[in-house]
Amino acid sequence: MSATGTTEFQPKDYKSDLKPIWCPGCGDFSVVQAIYRALAAIGRPPHEIAFVSGIGCSSRIPGYTTAYGFNSVHGRSLPIAQGIKLANPDLLVLAAGGDGDGFSIGGGHLPHMVRRNMDIAYIVMDNQIYGLTKGQLSPTSQKGRLTCTSRHGSLEAPVNPLLYMLAYGAGFVAQACPTDLAGMAAIIEAAIRYPGFAFVNIQSPCVTYGEEGQQLKALKAVSESLESLGHNPADRLAAMDLAQDYGSKLHLGVFYRNPEPPPTYGDLVKERQELLAKDAIPKERILDLFIKK
Amino acid sequence: MAMQGIDLARQTLLDALDLAILVEEEAQERYEEFAEQMDQYRNAEAGRFFRYMVENEAKHGEELSSRRAERFGNAPRKVTRAMIFDIEAPDYDAARGFMTPRQAMEAALASELKARNFFEAALPSIQDAEVRALFQELRDEEIQHQTMVQAELAKLPADEPFSAEDFADGPAPQ
Repeated sequence: MSATGTTEFQPKDYKSDLKPIWCPGCGDFSVVQAIYRALAAIGRPPHEIAFVSGIGCSSRIPGYTTAYGFNSVHGRSLPIAQGIKLANPDLLVLAAGGDGDGFSIGGGHLPHMVRRNMDIAYIVMDNQIYGLTKGQLSPTSQKGRLTCTSRHGSLEAPVNPLLYMLAYGAGFVAQACPTDLAGMAAIIEAAIRYPGFAFVNIQSPCVTYGEEGQQLKALKAVSESLESLGHNPADRLAAMDLAQDYGSKLHLGVFYRNPEPPPTYGDLVKERQELLAKDAIPKERILDLFIKK
Repeated sequence: MAMQGIDLARQTLLDALDLAILVEEEAQERYEEFAEQMDQYRNAEAGRFFRYMVENEAKHGEELSSRRAERFGNAPRKVTRAMIFDIEAPDYDAARGFMTPRQAMEAALASELKARNFFEAALPSIQDAEVRALFQELRDEEIQHQTMVQAELAKLPADEPFSAEDFADGPAPQ
Protein backbone atom coordinates (compact mmCIF):
# COMPACT_ATOMS: atom_id res chain seq x y z
CA MET A 1 0.00 0.00 0.00
CA SER A 2 1.45 3.36 -0.96
CA ALA A 3 0.98 4.74 2.49
CA THR A 4 3.44 7.45 3.35
CA GLY A 5 2.28 10.85 4.49
CA THR A 6 4.22 14.04 4.97
CA THR A 7 2.30 15.57 7.89
CA GLU A 8 2.94 14.11 11.32
CA PHE A 9 -0.15 12.59 12.87
CA GLN A 10 -0.71 11.53 16.43
CA PRO A 11 -2.93 8.60 17.53
CA LYS A 12 -5.54 11.05 18.88
CA ASP A 13 -6.04 12.42 15.35
CA TYR A 14 -7.76 9.14 14.46
CA LYS A 15 -9.96 8.99 17.55
CA SER A 16 -13.55 10.08 16.99
CA ASP A 17 -15.82 11.78 19.51
CA LEU A 18 -18.03 8.68 19.78
CA LYS A 19 -17.61 6.82 23.06
CA PRO A 20 -17.21 3.06 22.64
CA ILE A 21 -20.07 1.10 24.14
CA TRP A 22 -18.23 -2.19 24.44
CA CYS A 23 -18.42 -3.94 27.81
CA PRO A 24 -15.78 -2.56 30.21
CA GLY A 25 -12.76 -4.86 30.03
CA CYS A 26 -13.37 -5.83 26.38
CA GLY A 27 -10.25 -6.56 24.34
CA ASP A 28 -11.53 -4.34 21.53
CA PHE A 29 -10.64 -1.19 23.51
CA SER A 30 -6.98 -2.10 23.10
CA VAL A 31 -7.46 -3.03 19.45
CA VAL A 32 -8.83 0.39 18.55
CA GLN A 33 -5.93 2.03 20.41
CA ALA A 34 -3.50 -0.09 18.39
CA ILE A 35 -5.27 0.96 15.19
CA TYR A 36 -4.92 4.67 16.13
CA ARG A 37 -1.22 4.13 16.69
CA ALA A 38 -0.72 2.17 13.48
CA LEU A 39 -2.52 4.83 11.46
CA ALA A 40 -0.46 7.59 13.08
CA ALA A 41 2.70 5.72 12.14
CA ILE A 42 1.47 5.36 8.55
CA GLY A 43 0.67 9.07 8.53
CA ARG A 44 -2.21 9.22 6.04
CA PRO A 45 -4.83 11.86 6.92
CA PRO A 46 -8.16 10.43 8.13
CA HIS A 47 -10.04 11.60 5.02
CA GLU A 48 -7.83 9.33 2.89
CA ILE A 49 -8.83 6.24 4.84
CA ALA A 50 -11.95 4.10 4.45
CA PHE A 51 -12.77 1.67 7.23
CA VAL A 52 -15.44 -0.96 6.55
CA SER A 53 -16.92 -3.47 8.97
CA GLY A 54 -19.65 -6.06 9.12
CA ILE A 55 -21.96 -6.62 12.09
CA GLY A 56 -21.08 -7.46 15.66
CA CYS A 57 -19.46 -5.88 18.71
CA SER A 58 -16.10 -5.46 16.99
CA SER A 59 -17.76 -4.13 13.84
CA ARG A 60 -18.54 -0.92 15.71
CA ILE A 61 -14.87 -0.06 15.37
CA PRO A 62 -14.96 2.25 12.29
CA GLY A 63 -17.25 4.61 14.19
CA TYR A 64 -14.61 5.13 16.82
CA THR A 65 -12.13 6.41 14.26
CA THR A 66 -12.09 9.64 12.28
CA ALA A 67 -11.67 7.73 9.00
CA TYR A 68 -14.60 7.36 6.61
CA GLY A 69 -16.52 4.46 8.07
CA PHE A 70 -19.10 1.98 6.85
CA ASN A 71 -20.71 -0.33 9.43
CA SER A 72 -22.15 -2.53 6.70
CA VAL A 73 -23.98 -5.84 6.41
CA HIS A 74 -23.26 -9.02 8.33
CA GLY A 75 -20.30 -10.81 6.76
CA ARG A 76 -20.01 -8.39 3.87
CA SER A 77 -17.24 -6.05 4.93
CA LEU A 78 -14.79 -7.48 2.40
CA PRO A 79 -16.82 -7.15 -0.82
CA ILE A 80 -17.78 -3.61 0.17
CA ALA A 81 -14.16 -2.78 0.97
CA GLN A 82 -13.19 -4.25 -2.40
CA GLY A 83 -15.69 -2.03 -4.20
CA ILE A 84 -14.38 1.03 -2.39
CA LYS A 85 -10.78 0.19 -3.23
CA LEU A 86 -11.57 -0.41 -6.91
CA ALA A 87 -13.61 2.78 -7.19
CA ASN A 88 -11.00 4.90 -5.44
CA PRO A 89 -7.62 3.13 -5.48
CA ASP A 90 -5.91 6.03 -3.71
CA LEU A 91 -7.80 5.36 -0.49
CA LEU A 92 -6.19 3.33 2.24
CA VAL A 93 -8.84 0.66 2.88
CA LEU A 94 -9.23 -1.28 6.11
CA ALA A 95 -11.82 -3.92 6.89
CA ALA A 96 -12.65 -5.31 10.31
CA GLY A 97 -15.07 -7.56 12.13
CA GLY A 98 -15.39 -10.51 14.41
CA ASP A 99 -14.85 -14.23 13.94
CA GLY A 100 -18.55 -14.90 13.34
CA ASP A 101 -18.79 -12.14 10.77
CA GLY A 102 -15.55 -13.12 9.03
CA PHE A 103 -15.39 -16.90 9.17
CA SER A 104 -19.05 -17.90 9.15
CA ILE A 105 -21.44 -15.75 7.13
CA GLY A 106 -18.54 -13.91 5.48
CA GLY A 107 -16.24 -16.91 5.17
CA GLY A 108 -16.89 -17.38 1.47
CA HIS A 109 -15.36 -14.02 0.63
CA LEU A 110 -11.95 -14.81 2.08
CA PRO A 111 -10.45 -17.04 -0.66
CA HIS A 112 -11.56 -14.62 -3.36
CA MET A 113 -10.08 -11.65 -1.58
CA VAL A 114 -6.83 -13.59 -1.28
CA ARG A 115 -6.69 -14.84 -4.89
CA ARG A 116 -7.40 -11.34 -6.19
CA ASN A 117 -4.83 -9.93 -3.80
CA MET A 118 -6.96 -6.90 -3.02
CA ASP A 119 -4.89 -4.20 -1.34
CA ILE A 120 -6.87 -4.26 1.91
CA ALA A 121 -5.85 -4.89 5.51
CA TYR A 122 -8.41 -7.14 7.22
CA ILE A 123 -8.46 -7.16 11.01
CA VAL A 124 -10.49 -9.83 12.77
CA MET A 125 -11.21 -9.57 16.48
CA ASP A 126 -11.52 -13.25 17.28
CA ASN A 127 -13.27 -13.87 20.61
CA GLN A 128 -14.72 -17.33 19.85
CA ILE A 129 -18.29 -16.23 20.54
CA TYR A 130 -21.17 -14.18 19.15
CA GLY A 131 -21.13 -11.55 21.88
CA LEU A 132 -23.53 -8.93 20.57
CA THR A 133 -26.37 -11.46 20.34
CA LYS A 134 -25.64 -12.77 23.85
CA GLY A 135 -23.21 -15.62 23.54
CA GLN A 136 -23.91 -18.19 20.85
CA LEU A 137 -21.35 -20.59 19.36
CA SER A 138 -19.16 -18.98 16.74
CA PRO A 139 -17.00 -20.65 14.08
CA THR A 140 -13.91 -20.44 16.29
CA SER A 141 -15.57 -21.72 19.50
CA GLN A 142 -13.71 -24.76 20.73
CA LYS A 143 -15.27 -28.23 20.73
CA GLY A 144 -17.20 -28.91 23.93
CA ARG A 145 -17.87 -25.20 24.57
CA LEU A 146 -20.97 -24.54 26.64
CA THR A 147 -23.08 -21.69 25.35
CA CYS A 148 -26.77 -20.86 25.12
CA THR A 149 -26.85 -22.66 21.76
CA SER A 150 -24.75 -25.61 22.93
CA ARG A 151 -26.15 -26.45 26.37
CA HIS A 152 -24.42 -29.85 26.41
CA GLY A 153 -21.22 -28.69 24.72
CA SER A 154 -20.39 -27.94 21.11
CA LEU A 155 -20.04 -30.94 18.81
CA GLU A 156 -18.21 -28.94 16.15
CA ALA A 157 -14.49 -28.52 15.68
CA PRO A 158 -13.49 -24.86 15.33
CA VAL A 159 -12.13 -23.38 12.13
CA ASN A 160 -8.48 -22.42 12.19
CA PRO A 161 -8.41 -18.94 10.61
CA LEU A 162 -4.62 -18.76 10.40
CA LEU A 163 -4.31 -22.06 8.61
CA TYR A 164 -7.22 -21.23 6.30
CA MET A 165 -5.66 -17.97 5.22
CA LEU A 166 -2.24 -19.51 4.69
CA ALA A 167 -3.76 -22.36 2.69
CA TYR A 168 -5.72 -19.90 0.54
CA GLY A 169 -2.36 -18.31 -0.30
CA ALA A 170 -2.61 -15.03 1.62
CA GLY A 171 0.54 -12.92 1.31
CA PHE A 172 0.39 -11.56 4.85
CA VAL A 173 -0.91 -13.49 7.84
CA ALA A 174 -0.33 -12.39 11.42
CA GLN A 175 -1.75 -12.75 14.90
CA ALA A 176 -1.85 -10.23 17.73
CA CYS A 177 -3.37 -9.86 21.18
CA PRO A 178 -4.05 -6.99 23.60
CA THR A 179 -1.54 -8.64 25.96
CA ASP A 180 1.08 -6.83 23.85
CA LEU A 181 -0.25 -3.44 22.75
CA ALA A 182 3.03 -2.28 21.20
CA GLY A 183 3.34 -5.53 19.26
CA MET A 184 -0.28 -5.33 18.13
CA ALA A 185 0.17 -1.77 16.81
CA ALA A 186 3.34 -2.82 14.96
CA ILE A 187 1.58 -5.82 13.39
CA ILE A 188 -1.39 -3.73 12.22
CA GLU A 189 1.01 -1.17 10.78
CA ALA A 190 2.92 -3.92 8.93
CA ALA A 191 -0.37 -5.31 7.59
CA ILE A 192 -1.41 -1.90 6.28
CA ARG A 193 1.97 -1.38 4.67
CA TYR A 194 1.89 -4.78 2.94
CA PRO A 195 1.10 -4.23 -0.75
CA GLY A 196 -1.82 -6.64 -1.07
CA PHE A 197 -4.36 -8.49 1.04
CA ALA A 198 -3.18 -8.67 4.64
CA PHE A 199 -4.91 -10.61 7.38
CA VAL A 200 -4.49 -10.01 11.11
CA ASN A 201 -6.23 -12.29 13.59
CA ILE A 202 -6.48 -10.64 17.00
CA GLN A 203 -7.30 -12.70 20.06
CA SER A 204 -9.57 -10.16 21.71
CA PRO A 205 -11.33 -11.66 24.72
CA CYS A 206 -15.04 -11.28 25.41
CA VAL A 207 -15.32 -10.36 29.09
CA THR A 208 -19.04 -11.07 29.24
CA TYR A 209 -19.38 -14.43 27.49
CA GLY A 210 -15.75 -15.58 27.31
CA GLU A 211 -14.47 -18.31 29.58
CA GLU A 212 -11.81 -17.74 32.24
CA GLY A 213 -9.14 -19.39 30.12
CA GLN A 214 -9.80 -16.96 27.29
CA GLN A 215 -9.21 -13.80 29.28
CA LEU A 216 -6.06 -11.73 28.96
CA LYS A 217 -4.38 -13.06 32.09
CA ALA A 218 -4.69 -16.62 30.80
CA LEU A 219 -3.70 -15.62 27.27
CA LYS A 220 -0.60 -13.88 28.56
CA ALA A 221 0.53 -17.13 30.17
CA VAL A 222 0.36 -19.07 26.89
CA SER A 223 1.51 -16.40 24.45
CA GLU A 224 4.84 -16.62 22.68
CA SER A 225 6.23 -14.23 20.10
CA LEU A 226 7.08 -15.84 16.79
CA GLU A 227 10.26 -13.79 16.75
CA SER A 228 11.42 -15.40 20.01
CA LEU A 229 10.87 -18.81 18.40
CA GLY A 230 13.23 -17.81 15.58
CA HIS A 231 10.46 -18.07 13.01
CA ASN A 232 11.28 -16.82 9.53
CA PRO A 233 8.16 -15.01 8.22
CA ALA A 234 9.23 -15.71 4.63
CA ASP A 235 8.81 -19.46 5.22
CA ARG A 236 5.21 -20.33 4.40
CA LEU A 237 5.46 -24.02 5.31
CA ALA A 238 6.95 -23.21 8.72
CA ALA A 239 4.12 -20.70 9.17
CA MET A 240 1.56 -23.42 8.41
CA ASP A 241 3.24 -25.68 10.92
CA LEU A 242 2.99 -23.05 13.66
CA ALA A 243 -0.55 -22.09 12.66
CA GLN A 244 -1.68 -25.60 13.58
CA ASP A 245 -1.21 -24.62 17.22
CA TYR A 246 -4.19 -22.23 16.97
CA GLY A 247 -6.45 -22.94 19.94
CA SER A 248 -3.73 -24.50 22.08
CA LYS A 249 -0.86 -21.99 21.96
CA LEU A 250 -0.97 -18.29 21.27
CA HIS A 251 1.73 -17.36 18.77
CA LEU A 252 2.01 -13.61 18.27
CA GLY A 253 3.64 -11.93 15.31
CA VAL A 254 3.85 -12.31 11.56
CA PHE A 255 3.35 -15.91 10.47
CA TYR A 256 3.93 -15.18 6.81
CA ARG A 257 4.86 -12.21 4.68
CA ASN A 258 5.38 -12.92 1.01
CA PRO A 259 8.87 -11.58 0.28
CA GLU A 260 7.88 -11.01 -3.36
CA PRO A 261 4.30 -9.77 -3.30
CA PRO A 262 2.46 -10.33 -6.59
CA PRO A 263 0.67 -7.39 -8.24
CA THR A 264 -2.58 -6.42 -6.60
CA TYR A 265 -5.92 -6.72 -8.37
CA GLY A 266 -6.01 -2.94 -8.47
CA ASP A 267 -2.64 -2.83 -10.26
CA LEU A 268 -3.86 -5.35 -12.85
CA VAL A 269 -7.12 -3.49 -13.40
CA LYS A 270 -5.21 -0.25 -13.94
CA GLU A 271 -2.86 -1.97 -16.38
CA ARG A 272 -5.81 -3.41 -18.31
CA GLN A 273 -7.58 -0.06 -18.39
CA GLU A 274 -4.47 1.61 -19.77
CA LEU A 275 -4.08 -1.11 -22.39
CA LEU A 276 -7.67 -0.78 -23.57
CA ALA A 277 -7.86 2.98 -23.25
CA LYS A 278 -6.85 3.68 -26.84
CA ASP A 279 -9.81 1.68 -28.23
CA ALA A 280 -12.24 2.76 -25.57
CA ILE A 281 -15.39 4.60 -26.54
CA PRO A 282 -15.41 8.13 -25.13
CA LYS A 283 -17.62 8.42 -22.06
CA GLU A 284 -20.07 10.75 -23.79
CA ARG A 285 -20.69 8.12 -26.50
CA ILE A 286 -21.22 5.10 -24.28
CA LEU A 287 -25.00 5.38 -24.56
CA ASP A 288 -24.71 5.00 -28.34
CA LEU A 289 -23.96 1.31 -27.77
CA PHE A 290 -27.50 0.80 -26.54
CA ILE A 291 -29.24 2.78 -29.21
CA LYS A 292 -30.10 1.05 -32.45
CA LYS A 293 -29.06 3.06 -35.45
CA MET B 1 3.56 -1.43 29.51
CA ALA B 2 6.13 -0.57 26.87
CA MET B 3 8.06 2.21 25.16
CA GLN B 4 9.19 2.66 21.60
CA GLY B 5 11.91 4.92 20.24
CA ILE B 6 13.01 6.26 23.65
CA ASP B 7 16.61 5.71 24.66
CA LEU B 8 16.66 6.17 28.41
CA ALA B 9 20.46 6.19 28.54
CA ARG B 10 20.62 9.27 26.31
CA GLN B 11 17.56 11.02 27.62
CA THR B 12 17.82 14.71 28.48
CA LEU B 13 15.91 16.29 31.34
CA LEU B 14 13.57 17.91 28.81
CA ASP B 15 12.76 14.53 27.24
CA ALA B 16 12.33 12.96 30.67
CA LEU B 17 9.90 15.66 31.76
CA ASP B 18 7.96 15.30 28.53
CA LEU B 19 7.85 11.54 29.01
CA ALA B 20 6.56 11.98 32.58
CA ILE B 21 3.89 14.47 31.43
CA LEU B 22 2.71 12.07 28.72
CA VAL B 23 2.60 9.19 31.20
CA GLU B 24 0.25 11.26 33.42
CA GLU B 25 -1.80 12.34 30.39
CA GLU B 26 -2.22 8.74 29.24
CA ALA B 27 -3.34 7.67 32.72
CA GLN B 28 -5.73 10.62 32.98
CA GLU B 29 -7.38 9.74 29.66
CA ARG B 30 -7.70 6.08 30.61
CA TYR B 31 -9.39 6.95 33.92
CA GLU B 32 -11.72 9.27 32.02
CA GLU B 33 -12.62 6.39 29.72
CA PHE B 34 -13.19 4.12 32.72
CA ALA B 35 -15.41 6.73 34.37
CA GLU B 36 -17.48 7.01 31.18
CA GLN B 37 -17.75 3.23 31.00
CA MET B 38 -19.04 3.18 34.58
CA ASP B 39 -21.61 5.85 33.65
CA GLN B 40 -22.95 3.55 30.95
CA TYR B 41 -23.43 0.86 33.61
CA ARG B 42 -24.97 3.31 36.11
CA ASN B 43 -22.08 2.41 38.41
CA ALA B 44 -21.83 5.73 40.23
CA GLU B 45 -19.45 4.65 43.00
CA ALA B 46 -16.73 3.21 40.77
CA GLY B 47 -17.25 6.12 38.36
CA ARG B 48 -16.73 8.62 41.17
CA PHE B 49 -13.47 6.96 42.15
CA PHE B 50 -12.19 6.95 38.57
CA ARG B 51 -13.03 10.68 38.30
CA TYR B 52 -11.03 11.26 41.47
CA MET B 53 -8.10 9.54 39.74
CA VAL B 54 -8.63 11.75 36.66
CA GLU B 55 -8.22 14.82 38.87
CA ASN B 56 -5.12 13.38 40.53
CA GLU B 57 -3.42 12.53 37.26
CA ALA B 58 -4.33 15.93 35.82
CA LYS B 59 -2.85 17.65 38.86
CA HIS B 60 0.43 15.75 38.56
CA GLY B 61 0.54 16.45 34.85
CA GLU B 62 0.05 20.18 35.46
CA GLU B 63 2.80 20.25 38.10
CA LEU B 64 5.22 18.60 35.72
CA SER B 65 4.17 20.91 32.87
CA SER B 66 4.86 23.96 35.06
CA ARG B 67 8.32 22.67 35.86
CA ARG B 68 8.97 22.08 32.20
CA ALA B 69 7.81 25.57 31.24
CA GLU B 70 9.91 27.14 33.98
CA ARG B 71 13.06 25.36 32.94
CA PHE B 72 12.69 24.99 29.17
CA GLY B 73 10.00 27.45 28.07
CA ASN B 74 8.35 26.40 24.83
CA ALA B 75 11.13 24.10 23.65
CA PRO B 76 9.77 21.61 21.09
CA ARG B 77 8.77 18.19 22.31
CA LYS B 78 10.55 15.15 20.89
CA VAL B 79 8.72 12.52 22.91
CA THR B 80 5.22 11.72 21.68
CA ARG B 81 2.24 9.70 22.90
CA ALA B 82 2.88 7.15 20.16
CA MET B 83 6.07 6.18 21.99
CA ILE B 84 4.48 5.04 25.26
CA PHE B 85 2.11 2.17 25.95
CA ASP B 86 0.14 1.86 29.20
CA ILE B 87 2.90 2.96 31.58
CA GLU B 88 0.68 4.30 34.36
CA ALA B 89 -2.68 3.90 32.66
CA PRO B 90 -4.66 0.95 34.04
CA ASP B 91 -5.01 -1.90 31.57
CA TYR B 92 -8.30 -1.88 29.67
CA ASP B 93 -8.82 -5.39 30.99
CA ALA B 94 -8.97 -4.02 34.57
CA ALA B 95 -12.45 -2.50 34.15
CA ARG B 96 -15.71 -4.36 34.67
CA GLY B 97 -19.18 -2.91 34.28
CA PHE B 98 -20.35 -3.77 37.75
CA MET B 99 -17.06 -3.45 39.57
CA THR B 100 -17.18 -2.46 43.24
CA PRO B 101 -15.34 0.59 44.60
CA ARG B 102 -12.83 -1.85 46.09
CA GLN B 103 -12.18 -3.41 42.69
CA ALA B 104 -11.84 0.05 41.15
CA MET B 105 -9.27 1.01 43.80
CA GLU B 106 -7.43 -2.27 43.31
CA ALA B 107 -7.20 -1.53 39.58
CA ALA B 108 -5.71 1.89 40.39
CA LEU B 109 -3.33 0.36 42.89
CA ALA B 110 -2.07 -2.11 40.28
CA SER B 111 -1.46 0.82 37.93
CA GLU B 112 0.50 2.76 40.53
CA LEU B 113 2.60 -0.34 41.13
CA LYS B 114 3.12 -0.73 37.38
CA ALA B 115 4.33 2.87 37.13
CA ARG B 116 6.60 2.50 40.14
CA ASN B 117 8.16 -0.60 38.54
CA PHE B 118 8.64 1.30 35.30
CA PHE B 119 10.58 4.14 36.93
CA GLU B 120 12.52 1.72 39.13
CA ALA B 121 13.52 -0.49 36.20
CA ALA B 122 14.60 2.55 34.17
CA LEU B 123 17.00 3.89 36.81
CA PRO B 124 20.06 1.69 36.13
CA SER B 125 20.22 2.72 32.48
CA ILE B 126 19.96 6.47 33.10
CA GLN B 127 23.24 8.36 32.90
CA ASP B 128 22.18 11.99 33.35
CA ALA B 129 22.14 12.95 37.04
CA GLU B 130 19.13 15.29 36.73
CA VAL B 131 17.11 12.69 34.82
CA ARG B 132 18.00 10.12 37.43
CA ALA B 133 16.86 12.44 40.22
CA LEU B 134 13.58 13.07 38.39
CA PHE B 135 12.93 9.36 37.90
CA GLN B 136 13.70 8.68 41.56
CA GLU B 137 11.25 11.41 42.52
CA LEU B 138 8.58 9.98 40.20
CA ARG B 139 9.13 6.50 41.58
CA ASP B 140 8.78 7.79 45.14
CA GLU B 141 5.58 9.63 44.21
CA GLU B 142 4.12 6.40 42.88
CA ILE B 143 4.95 4.74 46.19
CA GLN B 144 3.14 7.58 48.00
CA HIS B 145 0.12 7.14 45.73
CA GLN B 146 0.08 3.43 46.49
CA THR B 147 0.08 4.17 50.21
CA MET B 148 -2.74 6.66 49.69
CA VAL B 149 -4.89 4.17 47.76
CA GLN B 150 -4.12 1.41 50.26
CA ALA B 151 -5.31 3.69 53.07
CA GLU B 152 -8.58 4.33 51.20
CA LEU B 153 -8.96 0.60 50.56
CA ALA B 154 -8.57 -0.15 54.27
CA LYS B 155 -11.55 2.10 55.03
CA LEU B 156 -13.86 0.13 52.72
CA PRO B 157 -15.97 -2.75 53.96
CA ALA B 158 -15.12 -6.12 52.42
CA ASP B 159 -16.89 -6.97 49.16
CA GLU B 160 -19.75 -9.43 49.18
CA PRO B 161 -18.57 -13.01 48.55
CA PHE B 162 -20.50 -13.07 45.26
CA SER B 163 -20.00 -10.79 42.32
CA ALA B 164 -22.57 -8.55 40.67
CA GLU B 165 -21.24 -9.92 37.36
CA ASP B 166 -22.73 -13.30 38.32
CA PHE B 167 -26.22 -11.86 38.17
CA ALA B 168 -25.91 -9.49 35.26
CA ASP B 169 -26.65 -10.08 31.64
CA GLY B 170 -25.82 -13.77 31.44
CA PRO B 171 -26.21 -15.89 28.30
CA ALA B 172 -29.87 -16.31 27.40
CA PRO B 173 -31.36 -18.73 24.85
CA GLN B 174 -32.65 -16.84 21.84
